[in-house]
Order: sequence, then C-alpha cells, then structure tokens
Amino acid sequence: MAQQFPALIITIPLLAALFTVPLGTLNRRFCYPWLMFIMAAVLSMAIVICGRVITFGPISYHMGGWQPPWGIEYRIDQLNALMLVLISGAGLLGAIYSGPSFKKEIDGRQTLASSLYLLMITGLMGIVITGDLFNIFVFLEIASLSGYGLIASGGNDAPFATFRYIIMGTIGASCYLLGVGYLYISTGSLNLMDLHRLLPELYHSRVILTAGALMLVGIALKMALFPLHAWLPEAYYEAPSAVSGVAAPLYTKVAGYLMIRILYNLFDPGFFTEVFPITTILSWAAVFALLIGSIYAIAQTDLKKMLCYSVIAQVGYIVLGIALANRAGFSGAILTIINEVFTKACIFMATGAIIYRIGDSRIEHLGHLFRRMPITMLAFIVGVFSMIGIPPTCGFFSKLYLIFGCVEAGQWVFIAALLLSTILNVVYFFRVIKVACFEDPQPDYERKEPYPEITMEEAPIGLLLPVVSAAAMILITGLGSHWIMVNLITPIIPAGF
Amino acid sequence: MLEFIISKYNFWFYVILMMIGLYAMLAKRNLVKKLIGMNIFQTAIILFYVSIGVKAGKVHVPIIIGGHGTHHAIKAADYLNPLPHVLMLTAIVVSIATTGVALAVLILIYRRYKTLNEDEILAIRQAGRETGA
Amino acid sequence: MKTVILIFVILAGGLLLYGTMDMPAWGDPNSPANTYVSPRYIEEAMEATETPNIVTAVLADYRGYDTMGETTVIFTAAIACALLLRGIGSARKEEDES
Repeated sequence: MAQQFPALIITIPLLAALFTVPLGTLNRRFCYPWLMFIMAAVLSMAIVICGRVITFGPISYHMGGWQPPWGIEYRIDQLNALMLVLISGAGLLGAIYSGPSFKKEIDGRQTLASSLYLLMITGLMGIVITGDLFNIFVFLEIASLSGYGLIASGGNDAPFATFRYIIMGTIGASCYLLGVGYLYISTGSLNLMDLHRLLPELYHSRVILTAGALMLVGIALKMALFPLHAWLPEAYYEAPSAVSGVAAPLYTKVAGYLMIRILYNLFDPGFFTEVFPITTILSWAAVFALLIGSIYAIAQTDLKKMLCYSVIAQVGYIVLGIALANRAGFSGAILTIINEVFTKACIFMATGAIIYRIGDSRIEHLGHLFRRMPITMLAFIVGVFSMIGIPPTCGFFSKLYLIFGCVEAGQWVFIAALLLSTILNVVYFFRVIKVACFEDPQPDYERKEPYPEITMEEAPIGLLLPVVSAAAMILITGLGSHWIMVNLITPIIPAGF
Repeated sequence: MLEFIISKYNFWFYVILMMIGLYAMLAKRNLVKKLIGMNIFQTAIILFYVSIGVKAGKVHVPIIIGGHGTHHAIKAADYLNPLPHVLMLTAIVVSIATTGVALAVLILIYRRYKTLNEDEILAIRQAGRETGA
Repeated sequence: MKTVILIFVILAGGLLLYGTMDMPAWGDPNSPANTYVSPRYIEEAMEATETPNIVTAVLADYRGYDTMGETTVIFTAAIACALLLRGIGSARKEEDES
C-alpha cells in the first residue's frame, strides 16, 4: 500500500475536491470536518513517503507502468519529500483555520471555497512530486487557477488585484511552456532526468540558452522576484485571511523549489560558469529584492500590507542562497524555505486572527493587543524572532548558512545587504510590537461600547490552534535543524559544489 | 541571413504574433484588450509547438492507415509526430480555462467600478483612498 | 510609456529570434524531436493500445496523467467561476425588491 502513496497523495485530494461539492450542497457544515480529515490523511501520507525516502533513497514511480521518457515518471528524492511534508503541513494548518475564517469573511460560499482549497493543495503537491516538465506546467496551472479564484473572492478591491495577478501569472506560465518547447525541439524529450543526461553535449547551442532564460523568467514571475514583483502585495493583501495564510507561505516557495530543480537538476552547475553567468544576474536581483522589499515594508501603515512586502524580501533570501552556488548557500536557501513556510503561516494567520477580532489591521488600531489577545501575540512574537533571525528559531540557522555562503563566495556586498535588511526587519516589526504593547488604540476605532478596561477576548480556538502550532513548528525545526541538515539537505546538494 | 529567414520563416511568424500579444497585454489600458492580448500570446505558443511536429515530404497525419484491419509494418517515417499535438490539446484547454476565470473576474470588476478602463479604475481607487483614509 | 513598452517588446522579440538560429529547419524529418521519443509511439501504438488514432493513444494511455490534469483544470475553472459569480443573481433580486 505504501508503494502506491506517490499516486494516492495526488488523487485523494483531487477526488475529495470533487466530493466536497455534493457534500456541501447537502449541508454546509460538513465541509469543515471533511477538509480537516482529508488534509490530515494527506499529511500522514507525506510523512510516510518522507520516511521511506530517508531510509531507502530516491523513489521512482512510473505512471501507468510506461517507461520514462515515453510515460510520465514521479521521482521523489529528499527535496521533493521535504516539500511534500511542508505543503501538506501548511495545508492542514490552513484547513483548521478555514472554519471560522471562511464563516466570517465569505459566508455562504464555503463549499466552493473548500473545494478550491483542496484543488490548490493538489496543484502545489503535483508540482513538487512530478519528474516530467509538461506535467509541471499542468499542475502549475491547476494551482494558479485555484489561487485566482480564491483570491478574487475577497470582496472590495480583490478582483482588480486578481486581474493583474492573472495577466502576470499567465505570462509566467506561458514563458515556462515556451522554454519547455525550446528544450523539446532540440532534444525530443520531456523528462527531467532524461534531459539532464542529454543536455551537456548541447550547451553551446543558443536554443538551450534561450530555453533556460525563458524558464527562469517564467519562474521568477511566479515567484515575485525583484523586477517582476508588482502583483504580489495587492493580491495577497486583498485575499481572505485563510487564503493569504496558506497562499503566501506556499506559492513563492514552490516556485523557489522549481528554480532549484531547473538550475541544478536540469542544467548542471557547470553550465553557468562555462556558458552564461545566470547566477550573477539572479544574485543581484535577489539583493535588490531584499533591500527594496524591506524599505517598502517600513513605509506601510497597514500590518497585512507590510507582511506582503516582507514576503518579497524573503524571496530575495531564497534566490540569493540558490544563486550563490556553494554548499552553505544552498543549505541556507532550503532552510529559508522551511523557515518561511511556517513563519509566514504563523504571522499571516495571526494577522487574520487580529482582523477577526478588531476588524482591520492598520497598525494604529493595534493598541493594547497584548492584553486582549495574549496567545496570538506571543505566537506573533515567535514568528517575528524567526524573521529577524534570533536563536533558537529556524530563521537564525538559515541566515547563518546564507552568511557562510556569502563568505565562501567572497561577496562582501551581499553580506552587507543581508545585515542591512535584517536591521530593517527589526525596525518595522518592533514598531508593531511597540504599538501592541504600550499604546492605546486610536480614537476612531470602532467599538460599540465606550473605551473601558481591557478584557481578554482571544480569537476562537479554530484560529488559535494553527497559529500556535505554526509557532511551535518554527521552534521545533530550529532545534532540529541539525537533523534536517544531515538527513534531508546534505544528500541533495548537487555534485560539483 | 537570407537563408535563415527563408528556411525558418515559421519561427518569424510565431515570434511576431507573440510580440503583438505581449504589447497588447502591457500597453493597452482597457482590461478586455489585455485579455485578448493574453489569448494571442498563448495561441502563438501553441502554433510554435504544432510546427515542431511537421515532417516534409509524403507523410500522413498520425492515424494509422487501414485502421483495425492493418497487417503491414508501420514505419515511423510515414507519419507526423504525434507528441506536440497531444501537448497542445492540453495547452488549449488550459488557455480556455484561464480566459474563463479572467472573464468572471472582469464581471466582478465591472459591477464594482462601472468601467473597464484601467486608468479610470485607478483614479476611482485613489479618490476612494483619499476620502476614506 | 507606450514607446518604452514598444522598444522592450521589439528587444524581446529580437532575443527570441536570436534563440531560433540554431533550431532545426522547418519540417526536417531527422530533427531530434522527430526521431527520439515519437517513433516508438507510432510503431507500437497499435499493438499496445489497439487504437489506430495515435494521438488518442498517447493522450489517453501513455500520457493519460496529463489528461487527468487537464480535466482537473477545467473543473477548477468551473468552480472558480461559480465561487465568483454565484450570488450575483440573488443580489440583484434583493436590489430589485428593496
């Protein structure tokens, strides 16, 4: 049975998404337990697959029994297994969160929203598990379409932000498809491992160079890397809280995984030293992303918008680690991905809990929040420490490895940029904590009764549990980062580093 | 240079079509025109893929001659390449699905702003932000 | 602004055309795309799948998983449209009544 898990882990959420619609039409309250049950099943399957990969090495699963490259192959090594666990973990947290949150924000449409949620998780997992380039495109479109639908349901200004996201996201996916076409016309194959074997003798060809550039531009658009980031802040700001709590951690990190696959498993690291310095361009774009994301974040007056700009900055960290092309940088990039999934889930969901209780997330309205919602704010503080990089959270280890990587590559400018952006992170996050601890909320704050003593009105348990679990996972992955390095990261470092 | 243009003129066609689509997506101010540009862009990519599978000379479409009653050996050189057609059937469906969702979003935008011109929508949002803030 | 975009678009088109310089000529029967994976599809489709239409055989059998993904894309788009547009009819009814 466990041998069929690679196929089941995609088909079960897919069929569940199909069954959510009649189930929800019967009674709307069935959707929430159904969603949690399916996500728990998916998470357990992902953990079993991860355990098998750690014990036995990479798994290869042929769909339909056909040999690759004539059929589609799933190839799961440690990086894929890690991404599967992260996606299903964040998906479970989001599923628990979605009960009260959907009821508050998009009441009456929970059935369809839950169905789209399961499809989004299916799409994201399909991208990380498959070993065939065209299959990646199909699942990328599944994930993107469900993302568009979920974000546009946010009401108010959400449709306009979504339209821009649709245009830029489709340019990205089409550029990726065109890159795959260029690779196909020169080799005839679509399988990742097969192309890795066939490409080295074609490195001098202009077609391959253009193919690589097109695929990277497409992925950079999906990832919101610096010059192509304009769609992200508006889209994730307008989205409903449950959606931004799951989409913001996951989409950009899955695109980061795709970049790792294209750069290091499709093209050898030698390609970038012999033919074209793509990694130099990427690392400079990453440095600009770091700085500009942090600078824009300081200028915001709304907590949720500030977090969206911080996502752009964190994407810069990941791409910097990937583009440094040495062991420490690569490890730093993967640790940043792990850290980011849980940290962004924790912080975005905490912000969603704040919006649930207070009504909006403008910083001037957050006064005395520590007394009203102490548990939420404690988890928020753990998330903030992880963003800044304070031990023993995972963020500290990821920044440490990134700095080691920069030292090893001899790029002192990058170290200065990393430290500067950490200081900027401290500035804008501590401003929020200062207001929440010490100041009174501003007078135009909408409470029905006059401003009395502060009582504790914490968010409902359905919102609290994911926030606290995400904060706990940040600490656990930080303390267990050595185990993660030995078992999951060291086996997948590309040869030649 | 002339030989490059003549032997590979199909690539010129699809690049020009793609650039028309890209220009429409970026430069036009009406949202529906942006959507049409997106469609042109995706259609150009589909044309490129289908042109990969062409073989010059006396070849058949990839349906086996004689159907089920065939007994002769099937030679690959007699038939077109079926794989790009397969990939593009999926890509056409994806393109339609994206256009459908984008049109639903456009309906929501029109209901809220009563216009589909990007400049006017940005002006309305700016005015709303100044009075509401 | 439009001239800036025009120049950018022309540059992008030029780069793409630069990339096509090493491609095989149009209709070349010996290009890698026509000789690596496809001959086995054409030659063995009849005995492996009993379907004379090779495109159907590849779509539904060899690469059937892509077809499942494609039907999921259509389903996702339908659900997304239903999520966005549902309630527009009933909202208008409420406006007419009030």
